[in-house]
Amino acid sequence: MISFATVVERAFTGPICTERDFELGIFVPNLRKVVEKYSIKYDPQHPVPADDDLADRVWAAAMEFLLETGVYCLDTERRILFTQEEIEGALETGPRGHVFGEGKDAKAMPRRFPEDKTPPWCSVGPTSSPVSSELYYVNLVKAHAENPLGDSITIPCLTHVDGQQIVGGSPLGVEGAIRAVLLTREGMRRAGRPGMPIVNGVTTATRAQEHIAAHHFGIRQTDALEIGTVHEMKIDFDSMNKVAYSLAAGSLIFAENGVILGGLAGGPAGVAVVIAAYNPVDLLLLRGAVQHPFPTHFDLGVTSTRDSIWARSLANQAVTRNSTLPVVNVGYSAAGPMTKMLLYEHSAWVIGSVVSGGSVEVGASARGTALDYTSPMDPLFGSEVAHAVAGMSRKEANGIVNALLEKYEDKLRDPPIGQKYQECYNVVSGKPNQEFIELYREVRREMVAQFGLPFKFTVLIPGGEFYS
Amino acid sequence: MSDESIYERLGATIIAGDKDKLLQAVEDALREGVTPSDIIEKGMSPGMKEVGERFTRYEIYLPEMMMAAEAWEYAMKFLEPKLLEAGTERKKVGRVVLGTVKGDVHSIGKTIVGAMLKMSGFEVFDLGVDVAASAFVTKAEEVEANIIAASALMSTTIPQQKSIIEHLEARGVRSKYCVLVGGGSTNQEWADSIGADGYGRTAGDATALALKAVSKG
Ligand code: B12
Repeated sequence: MISFATVVERAFTGPICTERDFELGIFVPNLRKVVEKYSIKYDPQHPVPADDDLADRVWAAAMEFLLETGVYCLDTERRILFTQEEIEGALETGPRGHVFGEGKDAKAMPRRFPEDKTPPWCSVGPTSSPVSSELYYVNLVKAHAENPLGDSITIPCLTHVDGQQIVGGSPLGVEGAIRAVLLTREGMRRAGRPGMPIVNGVTTATRAQEHIAAHHFGIRQTDALEIGTVHEMKIDFDSMNKVAYSLAAGSLIFAENGVILGGLAGGPAGVAVVIAAYNPVDLLLLRGAVQHPFPTHFDLGVTSTRDSIWARSLANQAVTRNSTLPVVNVGYSAAGPMTKMLLYEHSAWVIGSVVSGGSVEVGASARGTALDYTSPMDPLFGSEVAHAVAGMSRKEANGIVNALLEKYEDKLRDPPIGQKYQECYNVVSGKPNQEFIELYREVRREMVAQFGLPFKFTVLIPGGEFYS
Repeated sequence: MSDESIYERLGATIIAGDKDKLLQAVEDALREGVTPSDIIEKGMSPGMKEVGERFTRYEIYLPEMMMAAEAWEYAMKFLEPKLLEAGTERKKVGRVVLGTVKGDVHSIGKTIVGAMLKMSGFEVFDLGVDVAASAFVTKAEEVEANIIAASALMSTTIPQQKSIIEHLEARGVRSKYCVLVGGGSTNQEWADSIGADGYGRTAGDATALALKAVSKG
């Protein structure tokens, strides 16, 4: 694989063009051309498609598109272009099977295929949702770390330090990011999982300098910094600086691709192709150990819409059939904690991802944006579902996802917001309310009765309650 | 060619986002004796409105909307001098200075808001992302804007929206502008707490608020 230094050099020497020309003159026409040429068509009846030929066409379209389009560097206003050989070289020699975490919490991330029985990697946590207090922060981390199916953790964003609102790019941002790491380490220690890998280092940070500062206070080589491309097929130096730092520090990278459905990629067909095209970009440019996509709906801000699930499932199939770089999908729901709808939403995109060869990170609720609307129960449910459907056929999964969509699709615009963490949990003991436990059990029973979901475990509910 | 079909063609080329075909249609219309102001009001504007409506119905997406806006601006460059010649300066709906606040690079919501505002006839000055509070104010003063619209997606960047209002106050020009805020991490409560004039959950809300602000004068 070509070196990162070579990629950086291209950011300084590649063909110059304006951002507008890149978007409307290069990106959009190139994408439209391949979507048409490889006849990638959205099929709303099959949110989880089961057509290998279609998946491989998405991959072929994506490689052609990437070759012709490249990645736009916002700071130099140049295109970083890759040759066919370079793309293929990256796919052949890219990383595989990285070990995340330390000591007894260390684990190799599996490569999975569509309909694979291999259990998916489950990342759990508030997925960078904003949290207002350090007490909630530590207790949330502890509860997520107690999830026996959680292989790695995603940490929340702290909003205040010592009563002051954190402002990104300021000293408050540096202090907030450092504190977030220290609080996370403490939360995981309390759960008895000090080596559990953090995979969204360090999202309280907004700028590279904050990530770098926080890294020195407890991010390890077996943790991952989360570094993203910019919408769409663009990159900035702030992200590339994080890559440069991470390579020097020897940490892993979760390469995130927040593709927007309805944005420059257009509808679901374009989104599927762009997600697949990001896979080699995540290797070559972001130097990722994992591809981390989230096709977010432009109007609803969630990943649980029918078209988003279709695009994601198809892209997962395209990627996992053709690349060794594992995919860990992350999702955003519309509904908030302690609502049935949230559990349905997370289940829907999780099922689509897992049967399509991906792993999952569950996930943010209430779009990941509402202060304190997060709970450890939802990722627990999501990881239970993820394990239950490993090995399921895409056809069967499609039936379940369709039925789940019917339960919530019409409520995505005005979803039930549910309860804040401090309302549905006892913040002193860190345990969920009885009512929440009942709701969890009810939806779990429903998933067994309606879909025959083979839950595999007698799982520990965060806070100490056993049930089967 | 009947007037009806002339207007239809103007609207259709806007919807198609084809600036060259639009300009051709404009030139043909002028040749047929249609006035510049009728070209705009009866042909192009309804086309823009239709684009906005199709977008809210999820029938088209951002690229189509951006192309329609570009085609509009391209044709307007040609038409504006002609309007002046005819002594019928077009009344502008209003001017908006738009951007994503400092420290924040989330651009899509902001871009969608900008495109929707253009569909409703606003002149939009999009400052991009990572925009300093003072830069919003300076630009608004420079272009004599009516509205400042600031997008912020993160808990760590919403304080910058407050900062914009403080900068306006410091320069003694707060009352000149309607300040609208939006973006993932914001809500009505936040907007009220910082003294913003409006909060919008969607790009549609942004347009409705902006129209309301200019109608109040
Ligand atoms: C896509 C995305 C990204 C993309 C952005 C690409 C781009 N060029 O825009 C990338 C990958 C680059 C990214 C980066 C980061 N992100 Co981000 N991102 C998102 C995500 C999933 C969707 C945002 C989006 O585009 N939505 C679609 C648009 C259309 O919606 P919208 O912006 O809200 O706009 C609509 C309305 O709000 C309204 N509106 C918008 N602006 C305005 C303005 C006015 C005046 C009005 C009236 C209305 C209005 O109209 C729009 C259309 O309806 C959100 C979560 C979410 N669900 O929102 C997280 C989210 C905002 N990101 C988050 C984080 C943490 C980050 C990072 C720090 C992560 C990292 N690894 O470093 C970086 C920060 C980079 C930076 N310095 O800004 C967090 C923020 C948490 C917090 N602290 O509050 C969120 C909430 C997700 C999460 N929980 O993890 N992100």
